[in-house]
Amino acid sequence: MSYLVCVLLFGLMVGSVGVASNPSPYFAAMGLVMVSGVGCGVLICFGGSFLPLVFFLIYLGGMMVEFAFSAALSAEPYPYGWGNRSVKMYVAAYVLGVGCAWKVLLGKWSGFWGGILDESGELLVLRGDMMGVAAMHDVGGWILVLGGLGLLLTLFVVLELVRGVSRGGLRTV
Amino acid sequence: MTPIQMTFSTMFLLGLMGLTFHRTHLLSALLCLESMMLSLFLATSLWALQLSTINIATVPMLLLAFSACEASSGLALLVATARTHGSDHMQNLNLLQC
Repeated sequence: MSYLVCVLLFGLMVGSVGVASNPSPYFAAMGLVMVSGVGCGVLICFGGSFLPLVFFLIYLGGMMVEFAFSAALSAEPYPYGWGNRSVKMYVAAYVLGVGCAWKVLLGKWSGFWGGILDESGELLVLRGDMMGVAAMHDVGGWILVLGGLGLLLTLFVVLELVRGVSRGGLRTV
Repeated sequence: MTPIQMTFSTMFLLGLMGLTFHRTHLLSALLCLESMMLSLFLATSLWALQLSTINIATVPMLLLAFSACEASSGLALLVATARTHGSDHMQNLNLLQC
Protein backbone atom coordinates (compact mmCIF):
# COMPACT_ATOMS: atom_id res chain seq x y z
CA MET A 1 0.00 0.00 0.00
CA SER A 2 2.89 2.34 0.62
CA TYR A 3 3.98 1.79 -2.98
CA LEU A 4 0.62 3.12 -4.09
CA VAL A 5 1.23 6.25 -2.03
CA CYS A 6 4.67 6.59 -3.67
CA VAL A 7 3.14 6.40 -7.13
CA LEU A 8 0.43 8.91 -6.25
CA LEU A 9 2.94 11.36 -4.81
CA PHE A 10 4.98 11.06 -7.98
CA GLY A 11 1.82 11.75 -9.98
CA LEU A 12 1.22 14.87 -7.89
CA MET A 13 4.72 16.10 -8.65
CA VAL A 14 4.40 15.43 -12.39
CA GLY A 15 1.06 17.24 -12.53
CA SER A 16 2.41 20.23 -10.59
CA VAL A 17 5.42 20.53 -12.86
CA GLY A 18 3.04 20.39 -15.82
CA VAL A 19 0.86 23.17 -14.41
CA ALA A 20 3.81 25.40 -13.53
CA SER A 21 5.51 25.05 -16.92
CA ASN A 22 2.41 25.03 -19.09
CA PRO A 23 2.78 26.02 -22.75
CA SER A 24 -0.86 27.09 -22.93
CA PRO A 25 -3.77 27.31 -20.45
CA TYR A 26 -5.35 24.18 -21.93
CA PHE A 27 -2.42 22.08 -20.73
CA ALA A 28 -2.39 23.76 -17.32
CA ALA A 29 -6.06 22.86 -16.90
CA MET A 30 -5.25 19.29 -17.88
CA GLY A 31 -2.46 19.22 -15.30
CA LEU A 32 -4.86 20.49 -12.62
CA VAL A 33 -7.35 17.75 -13.51
CA MET A 34 -4.59 15.17 -13.05
CA VAL A 35 -3.43 16.71 -9.76
CA SER A 36 -6.93 16.81 -8.32
CA GLY A 37 -7.61 13.18 -9.31
CA VAL A 38 -4.33 11.94 -7.86
CA GLY A 39 -4.74 14.15 -4.76
CA CYS A 40 -8.13 12.55 -4.18
CA GLY A 41 -6.34 9.19 -4.23
CA VAL A 42 -3.71 10.40 -1.75
CA LEU A 43 -6.38 11.57 0.69
CA ILE A 44 -8.18 8.23 0.38
CA CYS A 45 -4.92 6.41 1.13
CA PHE A 46 -4.56 8.44 4.31
CA GLY A 47 -8.00 7.52 5.58
CA GLY A 48 -10.37 10.22 4.39
CA SER A 49 -13.78 9.60 2.94
CA PHE A 50 -15.62 12.91 2.57
CA LEU A 51 -12.74 15.31 1.97
CA PRO A 52 -11.41 13.42 -1.09
CA LEU A 53 -14.90 13.50 -2.62
CA VAL A 54 -15.18 17.23 -1.97
CA PHE A 55 -11.74 17.72 -3.49
CA PHE A 56 -12.63 15.80 -6.63
CA LEU A 57 -16.09 17.28 -7.09
CA ILE A 58 -15.35 20.90 -6.38
CA TYR A 59 -12.09 21.08 -8.28
CA LEU A 60 -13.23 19.17 -11.31
CA GLY A 61 -16.89 20.02 -11.43
CA GLY A 62 -16.59 23.56 -10.16
CA MET A 63 -13.29 25.17 -10.87
CA MET A 64 -12.22 23.33 -13.98
CA VAL A 65 -15.52 24.00 -15.72
CA GLU A 66 -15.04 27.72 -15.06
CA PHE A 67 -11.46 27.61 -16.26
CA ALA A 68 -12.42 25.63 -19.35
CA PHE A 69 -14.97 28.28 -20.28
CA SER A 70 -12.43 31.03 -19.68
CA ALA A 71 -9.85 29.20 -21.77
CA ALA A 72 -12.41 29.01 -24.55
CA LEU A 73 -13.03 32.74 -24.11
CA SER A 74 -9.38 33.76 -24.37
CA ALA A 75 -8.47 31.12 -26.91
CA GLU A 76 -5.86 31.46 -29.58
CA PRO A 77 -6.01 29.45 -32.79
CA TYR A 78 -2.49 27.99 -32.64
CA PRO A 79 -1.40 27.39 -29.03
CA TYR A 80 2.08 26.21 -28.13
CA GLY A 81 2.60 22.54 -27.40
CA TRP A 82 4.91 20.69 -25.06
CA GLY A 83 7.66 20.53 -27.69
CA ASN A 84 8.29 24.24 -27.65
CA ARG A 85 11.87 25.08 -26.74
CA SER A 86 11.22 27.50 -23.90
CA VAL A 87 8.64 25.15 -22.40
CA LYS A 88 11.16 22.30 -22.41
CA MET A 89 13.67 24.53 -20.61
CA TYR A 90 11.11 25.39 -17.95
CA VAL A 91 10.16 21.73 -17.46
CA ALA A 92 13.84 20.78 -17.16
CA ALA A 93 14.49 23.58 -14.67
CA TYR A 94 11.52 22.62 -12.49
CA VAL A 95 12.33 18.90 -12.55
CA LEU A 96 15.96 19.67 -11.65
CA GLY A 97 14.88 21.97 -8.83
CA VAL A 98 12.45 19.43 -7.42
CA GLY A 99 15.04 16.65 -7.71
CA CYS A 100 17.71 18.69 -5.90
CA ALA A 101 15.30 19.71 -3.15
CA TRP A 102 14.21 16.10 -2.64
CA LYS A 103 17.77 14.84 -2.59
CA VAL A 104 18.90 17.44 -0.09
CA LEU A 105 15.92 17.41 2.26
CA LEU A 106 14.76 13.85 1.94
CA GLY A 107 18.01 12.04 1.23
CA LYS A 108 18.23 10.39 4.64
CA TRP A 109 14.56 9.34 4.82
CA SER A 110 14.47 5.61 5.24
CA GLY A 111 11.12 5.11 6.88
CA PHE A 112 7.92 4.05 5.19
CA TRP A 113 6.36 6.44 2.76
CA GLY A 114 2.76 6.21 3.72
CA GLY A 115 0.24 3.98 5.27
CA ILE A 116 -3.29 4.17 6.45
CA LEU A 117 -3.48 5.62 9.93
CA ASP A 118 -6.64 4.19 11.37
CA GLU A 119 -7.50 4.71 14.99
CA SER A 120 -10.60 2.62 15.27
CA GLY A 121 -9.35 -0.57 13.63
CA GLU A 122 -12.76 -1.49 12.27
CA LEU A 123 -14.93 -0.68 9.28
CA LEU A 124 -16.85 2.52 9.78
CA VAL A 125 -19.32 4.39 7.63
CA LEU A 126 -18.92 7.81 9.25
CA ARG A 127 -15.21 8.49 9.40
CA GLY A 128 -13.38 11.28 11.14
CA ASP A 129 -13.26 13.86 8.42
CA MET A 130 -16.99 13.72 7.83
CA MET A 131 -17.52 14.41 11.51
CA GLY A 132 -15.15 17.36 11.26
CA VAL A 133 -17.09 18.83 8.37
CA ALA A 134 -20.31 18.30 10.32
CA ALA A 135 -18.74 20.37 13.09
CA MET A 136 -18.65 23.26 10.64
CA HIS A 137 -22.43 23.28 10.67
CA ASP A 138 -22.68 22.70 14.41
CA VAL A 139 -20.24 24.80 16.43
CA GLY A 140 -18.94 26.67 13.40
CA GLY A 141 -22.28 28.12 12.41
CA TRP A 142 -21.14 31.72 12.44
CA ILE A 143 -18.16 31.11 10.17
CA LEU A 144 -20.54 29.39 7.75
CA VAL A 145 -22.76 32.50 7.72
CA LEU A 146 -19.67 34.63 7.21
CA GLY A 147 -18.54 32.43 4.33
CA GLY A 148 -21.95 32.71 2.74
CA LEU A 149 -21.90 36.49 3.05
CA GLY A 150 -18.42 36.54 1.55
CA LEU A 151 -19.59 34.50 -1.41
CA LEU A 152 -22.54 36.86 -1.91
CA LEU A 153 -20.15 39.79 -1.83
CA THR A 154 -17.96 38.06 -4.40
CA LEU A 155 -20.95 37.69 -6.68
CA PHE A 156 -21.47 41.44 -6.65
CA VAL A 157 -17.74 42.07 -7.12
CA VAL A 158 -17.68 39.83 -10.18
CA LEU A 159 -20.78 41.40 -11.68
CA GLU A 160 -19.27 44.85 -11.19
CA LEU A 161 -15.92 43.84 -12.70
CA VAL A 162 -17.41 42.47 -15.91
CA ARG A 163 -19.91 45.24 -16.36
CA GLY A 164 -17.90 47.08 -18.95
CA VAL A 165 -17.59 50.74 -19.79
CA SER A 166 -21.20 51.57 -20.66
CA ARG A 167 -23.70 51.49 -17.83
CA GLY A 168 -25.92 48.76 -19.06
CA GLY A 169 -26.37 45.06 -19.20
CA LEU A 170 -23.59 42.57 -19.82
CA ARG A 171 -22.16 43.00 -23.26
CA THR A 172 -20.85 40.15 -25.34
CA VAL A 173 -17.08 40.07 -25.44
CA MET B 1 10.62 16.09 6.60
CA THR B 2 8.20 13.33 5.70
CA PRO B 3 7.63 12.60 1.99
CA ILE B 4 4.02 13.74 2.01
CA GLN B 5 4.93 17.06 3.61
CA MET B 6 7.70 17.47 1.06
CA THR B 7 5.20 16.78 -1.72
CA PHE B 8 2.70 19.43 -0.86
CA SER B 9 5.39 21.96 0.02
CA THR B 10 6.98 21.38 -3.36
CA MET B 11 3.59 21.66 -5.05
CA PHE B 12 3.06 25.03 -3.38
CA LEU B 13 6.49 26.29 -4.41
CA LEU B 14 6.07 25.04 -7.97
CA GLY B 15 2.74 26.85 -8.26
CA LEU B 16 4.32 29.97 -6.81
CA MET B 17 7.15 29.82 -9.32
CA GLY B 18 4.70 29.26 -12.15
CA LEU B 19 2.74 32.28 -10.97
CA THR B 20 5.90 34.40 -10.72
CA PHE B 21 7.35 33.47 -14.09
CA HIS B 22 4.07 33.76 -16.00
CA ARG B 23 4.93 34.14 -19.60
CA THR B 24 2.13 34.89 -22.04
CA HIS B 25 -1.34 34.28 -20.68
CA LEU B 26 -3.02 35.72 -17.60
CA LEU B 27 -5.08 32.53 -17.41
CA SER B 28 -2.01 30.34 -16.84
CA ALA B 29 -1.04 32.54 -13.88
CA LEU B 30 -4.55 32.04 -12.46
CA LEU B 31 -4.26 28.29 -12.96
CA CYS B 32 -0.94 28.26 -11.05
CA LEU B 33 -2.73 30.13 -8.26
CA GLU B 34 -5.32 27.36 -8.27
CA SER B 35 -2.58 24.76 -7.92
CA MET B 36 -1.31 26.63 -4.84
CA MET B 37 -4.80 26.50 -3.36
CA LEU B 38 -4.96 22.80 -4.20
CA SER B 39 -1.73 22.14 -2.29
CA LEU B 40 -3.08 24.07 0.70
CA PHE B 41 -6.27 21.99 0.65
CA LEU B 42 -4.18 18.84 0.56
CA ALA B 43 -2.03 20.08 3.44
CA THR B 44 -4.92 21.00 5.75
CA SER B 45 -6.84 17.80 4.93
CA LEU B 46 -3.79 15.71 5.74
CA TRP B 47 -3.42 17.64 8.98
CA ALA B 48 -6.96 16.67 9.94
CA LEU B 49 -6.51 13.06 8.84
CA GLN B 50 -3.04 12.25 10.10
CA LEU B 51 -3.15 13.94 13.50
CA SER B 52 -6.76 12.85 14.13
CA THR B 53 -7.75 16.41 15.03
CA ILE B 54 -11.02 16.14 13.21
CA ASN B 55 -12.26 19.64 14.02
CA ILE B 56 -9.59 20.98 11.66
CA ALA B 57 -11.52 19.32 8.81
CA THR B 58 -13.59 22.50 8.62
CA VAL B 59 -10.52 24.42 7.45
CA PRO B 60 -10.23 22.76 4.00
CA MET B 61 -13.93 23.34 3.32
CA LEU B 62 -13.72 27.03 4.18
CA LEU B 63 -10.46 27.33 2.26
CA LEU B 64 -12.24 25.91 -0.78
CA ALA B 65 -15.10 28.39 -0.43
CA PHE B 66 -12.79 31.40 -0.23
CA SER B 67 -10.56 30.08 -3.00
CA ALA B 68 -13.65 29.86 -5.20
CA CYS B 69 -14.27 33.56 -4.43
CA GLU B 70 -10.73 34.39 -5.41
CA ALA B 71 -10.79 32.31 -8.58
CA SER B 72 -14.03 33.92 -9.72
CA SER B 73 -12.63 37.42 -9.09
CA GLY B 74 -9.54 36.51 -11.10
CA LEU B 75 -11.63 35.19 -13.95
CA ALA B 76 -13.77 38.35 -13.89
CA LEU B 77 -10.55 40.35 -14.28
CA LEU B 78 -9.62 38.06 -17.17
CA VAL B 79 -12.95 38.73 -18.88
CA ALA B 80 -12.48 42.47 -18.37
CA THR B 81 -8.98 42.21 -19.86
CA ALA B 82 -10.24 40.25 -22.85
CA ARG B 83 -12.91 42.89 -23.35
CA THR B 84 -10.57 45.88 -23.32
CA HIS B 85 -7.37 44.43 -24.77
CA GLY B 86 -8.80 41.77 -27.04
CA SER B 87 -6.86 38.88 -25.48
CA ASP B 88 -5.29 38.03 -22.14
CA HIS B 89 -1.69 38.35 -23.23
CA MET B 90 0.50 39.76 -20.48
CA GLN B 91 2.55 42.02 -22.71
CA ASN B 92 -0.55 44.01 -23.63
CA LEU B 93 -1.09 45.02 -19.99
CA ASN B 94 1.32 47.93 -20.11
CA LEU B 95 -0.79 50.98 -19.31
CA LEU B 96 1.26 51.74 -16.21
CA GLN B 97 4.59 51.22 -17.91
CA CYS B 98 6.77 54.30 -18.13
